[in-house]
Amino acid sequence: MAGKRAVAQAWIEPVNDDPEAVSALAVARAHLSGGRALRSLRRLRLIELSGALPARAGLEGLLHRSIQFYNPAKERCVVRMAAADALPLGGREQVVLVFERGEERRGGAERWWRHETGRDIEVREGVAWVIGFEPLETDPAGAVAELAALRDRRHGLLCNPHAQEHRIAAGKVPLPWITLRT
Amino acid sequence: MTPARVAVIRFPGVNCEAESARALARVGLEPELFMWTRTPSDLRDFQAYLLPGGFAYQDRVRAGALAAKDPLVETLSEEASRGKPVLGICNGAQVLVEAGLVPGGAGVELALARNHMPDRSGYYARWVYARVEPSPCVFTRGLSPGMVLPLPVAHGEGRFTSSETGRVEALARAGQVPLRYASSDGVDADGFPANPNGADAGAAAVCNGAGNVLALMPHPERAQDAGALPAAVVGVWGEARAAARLRGERDARGPGLLLFEGLRRHLMEA
Repeated sequence: MAGKRAVAQAWIEPVNDDPEAVSALAVARAHLSGGRALRSLRRLRLIELSGALPARAGLEGLLHRSIQFYNPAKERCVVRMAAADALPLGGREQVVLVFERGEERRGGAERWWRHETGRDIEVREGVAWVIGFEPLETDPAGAVAELAALRDRRHGLLCNPHAQEHRIAAGKVPLPWITLRT
Repeated sequence: MTPARVAVIRFPGVNCEAESARALARVGLEPELFMWTRTPSDLRDFQAYLLPGGFAYQDRVRAGALAAKDPLVETLSEEASRGKPVLGICNGAQVLVEAGLVPGGAGVELALARNHMPDRSGYYARWVYARVEPSPCVFTRGLSPGMVLPLPVAHGEGRFTSSETGRVEALARAGQVPLRYASSDGVDADGFPANPNGADAGAAAVCNGAGNVLALMPHPERAQDAGALPAAVVGVWGEARAAARLRGERDARGPGLLLFEGLRRHLMEA
């Protein structure tokens, strides 16, 4: 049963080690000034759905059965429907959200949703890089900012600001986040 | 005269190195496949460099992003600053842009962003036309401005753009866009599919200010045989294709070789 207008986040992470994140971690540690004290780097897909959404069980069921959102054989999905809902993050981890400027809408997923439920919603997607540092890093917030925005060969990796947007969160992640006006 | 040595740099995931090396050899240069595991300083023994197309590091993080951080690219940058030519084709172009070697000012100034195409998204492959523009680019050296070359594109992220409005247009005015998408008769591309990715200023290629480093999205190495051009190609290159087929010369010299010949001319004069 569809309810009032709401926003939900689906945090989707590969079940197995993620080669993309492993490569990014290795390159950042080896070559980037902000990456020397990196302990961990994970890559999740963040999908935000907004509109008349069903309750949690119905939403999770729709996400699970469509190939538009994730592959349950390869990925796990954590749904967040309220700001107080748990995030798939460790206590000291920070998150860098990256999405293509003007390209964040997922038309195929929206059409599938309309076909399945008869309702129009908006679906957006970005990549959430979850970052942890060794305790020796004295300025983790500065180091994350350094890693996030590409400036030159030695500074920045996750977002090319000429075509992408990025946002950084530590501890509290906004809901919604992709459409949040900054 | 000893042929100039050109390193064709092979990052894991590239897949156009063989045809790129063949094109270099056909114009009288000496290509050598250079594995990413070799010592970067070995690159100094070469007179020019080519970053071929493909998917370096599987396009992880972003196309070209990880290869751009490789120590090999640091050495490439040093050699380019000495005036040695560097050609990046498709994925190679993405590496050069992500490394800031093109357009070559302070840091990274551009992106090769996802294609903008009406009612579709993702990877797109087709033959397009690119018009030669006035430029100091060594690879278009000897080609007359206005000349039109049929070349294939095949990419998902080929849109030259910048967060700075008008940046690519300014580069074009400065002669740093040596090839622009056009119609078969050389008129500016008026949108998709003539401009296959929505690139700002219709840019098919961007070079640095000195003209020795070129990020090129179309694949000239796939257009080195006139007999292999598609039937849809018109104009002088359509006639060349027909003649080559009539004579049974499928590997008659095609339009893509002109860019490699520009490199050879430059190296002979340097």
